[in-house]
Amino acid sequence: MVTWTGLEHFRVGRFNPPPPAIEADDFVYDLRPRWPRGEERGKSPAIEESFHSRRTFMETWRLPLSSSIRGKLISAGYTSLSSISSVSSTDLARGARNAWDMLHEEEALPRITTSCSDLDKILGGGISCRDVTEIGGVPGIGKTQIGIQLSVNVQIPREFGGLGGKAIYIDTEGSFMVERALQIAEACVEDMEEYTGYMHKHFKASQVQMKPRDILENIFYFRVCSYTEQIALVNHLDKFISENKDVKVVIVDSITFHFRQDFDDLAQRTRVLSEMALKFMKLAKKFSLAVVLLNQVTTKYTEGSFQLALALGDSWSHSCTNRVILYWNGDERYAYIDKSPSLPSASASYTVTGRGLRNSSSSSKRVKMM
Amino acid sequence: MKPRSLLSQSPTTSLKLTTGCETLDACLHGGFPCDSLTEIVAESGCGKTQLCLQLSLCAQLPISNGGLDGSALYLHSEFPFPFRRLHQLSRLFHLSNPSIYADHNDNPCDHVFIQNVHNVDHLFDVMSKIESFVKNSKTRLPLKLIVLDSVAALFRSEFENTPSDLRKRASCFFKISGKLKQLANKFGLAVVITNQVTDFVESSDGLSGLRIGNLRCLYSSGRRVVPALGLAWANCVNSRVFISRSDDSICQERREDDERSGSSYVSRRARRRFDIVFSPYLPASSCEFVITGEGICGRDAEKMDSTFLESGMVVREHQIDTRSLDKSKTLRLRLEKSVESSLGHRLNKTVNFGSLSYHTYANF
Repeated sequence: MVTWTGLEHFRVGRFNPPPPAIEADDFVYDLRPRWPRGEERGKSPAIEESFHSRRTFMETWRLPLSSSIRGKLISAGYTSLSSISSVSSTDLARGARNAWDMLHEEEALPRITTSCSDLDKILGGGISCRDVTEIGGVPGIGKTQIGIQLSVNVQIPREFGGLGGKAIYIDTEGSFMVERALQIAEACVEDMEEYTGYMHKHFKASQVQMKPRDILENIFYFRVCSYTEQIALVNHLDKFISENKDVKVVIVDSITFHFRQDFDDLAQRTRVLSEMALKFMKLAKKFSLAVVLLNQVTTKYTEGSFQLALALGDSWSHSCTNRVILYWNGDERYAYIDKSPSLPSASASYTVTGRGLRNSSSSSKRVKMM
Repeated sequence: MKPRSLLSQSPTTSLKLTTGCETLDACLHGGFPCDSLTEIVAESGCGKTQLCLQLSLCAQLPISNGGLDGSALYLHSEFPFPFRRLHQLSRLFHLSNPSIYADHNDNPCDHVFIQNVHNVDHLFDVMSKIESFVKNSKTRLPLKLIVLDSVAALFRSEFENTPSDLRKRASCFFKISGKLKQLANKFGLAVVITNQVTDFVESSDGLSGLRIGNLRCLYSSGRRVVPALGLAWANCVNSRVFISRSDDSICQERREDDERSGSSYVSRRARRRFDIVFSPYLPASSCEFVITGEGICGRDAEKMDSTFLESGMVVREHQIDTRSLDKSKTLRLRLEKSVESSLGHRLNKTVNFGSLSYHTYANF
């Protein structure tokens, strides 16, 4: 049946040729709208030459390709033959890259050290940029300490092997204490000065320019008091980071606090959280920065007993690239790589000292590969 | 939205509320921090309420003396509220800090607002009114401290042990904590919450013995305890502090070298200990303290010989001279007099034990 508008289109010549009697193997009925969009909208219908341009649009439709391929070309925007002829196969593949190039790119990415060499070793050198890392553990294990340490370490200048960037610290719980950050910053500057003194014994090399107060100035600290503020801030981050291009790490401490209150509709919570996770991943890829999300631990009732698990449920566990779990083993704090696309499962111990995160002083074998 | 400049406060330390005791302040690096929730976990009778009462008075000290120059809101869920003790402490506080109250002719009790809360819904109700209270109050000192004593009592009766009720309970924890943190952030308040302990029961999944913080096991009065309300509540507070007592019952005899009288004292010590369980900026440390008529004060090692502790009170030994007494009865009267004058309240009963005598005092 041809409807009234259908008749008009038919008269003008906008129609697909009838399907062949014998179907090709990959034949798919294409149910997309049968008129071209885009260019034609911008022009008024009264212009005479539009008939001619309309003819050229149709050329993709007339190509002897299966309709699924035709449909995909049209939706990708290649509506006329001239546009297709100028394109190469790699462009059509939407910027697919060669894995070899990607490996080189990834190796060239710097990593943020955690100031604890065992932890760095199991993390493959430190927290990687362009990835979302989730760190979870019981209260008092040192999550906030890791967050503050990373926000200080990201500012280590390039001459000392750091990134020389700035940090964004999103505090949802109120655990960030300025005096602790100052303490860690002072220890970092002292370590850098010791390093210069050690490495450049012969000549007075460039003194460490950074002062602890400068380090504090380079941490952009946001305090959010409700989940709506948190969502609004995450939406705003894109704009903020475009204005402050040297931000290299975004730390959220902790991601779960506001989401464990009153969310009657768990499906809505999952939706909101996955949107947030997607935004973080996009931020990480777009600006080449590291996103570190600190999570809490809760008990989950599975298989008839209660077990410890990271908060926010199973669907959240897909939202991060790497996951590190912090736990107590006897009197020592341990970190365990729970999920990572490139790192093997391993655990290492660390301590929290007055100067920040450091290696634990126990002499037993600290890094355990699983 | 703009980030908050970290260097906007100078010196770069957050404001702290002194506890009124130097040893505790040294352990806490200045006192209880503002814009943060601190939890005090202790068994009953360890001194949580004493510490909270003392804090509500210290909040009125000027900022230069470690206070917050503000009033306190005391939300209590356990009955009865120790009014007498508050009046006693307030009197002593007024005497030791006359300058604050001289111009305005009020006394410390005027700046402690007491509200009782029966259950969780009542608490939400009260919290929703706090904001308007802070904005519209015509009191001389703004609200700077909120004390919630205790949070465990609110949850004692309403929730069963089923997973769905536990989940509801957990979401209540986060609601309470979220609201208090929001108030603390908005008005720069210090929030102190007390919590109780329950006995440690070994369970098959090992979760009741889960280590949280610097102490592997918490011991109080000789038995192993865990803080009430579980892991969910532990995630809601910023810092946790543990007060314990050990009924060591160390009888320390002090004999005077006098053949004649041969009287001595038996002191029974109940040691109270203050531990930092976890905190975002404090190292693991602990100290010991005593509770006196004047309130809580830290115990220094050297001073210990001259003071002894009996179920919460301290008698200053140097006021009592045993040599001049030949009868224990006279001794008792002397003791009573000296104690009364220094502490302002009376002994409960005296037990004579031949040449020894020891006294039991009323517990507050």
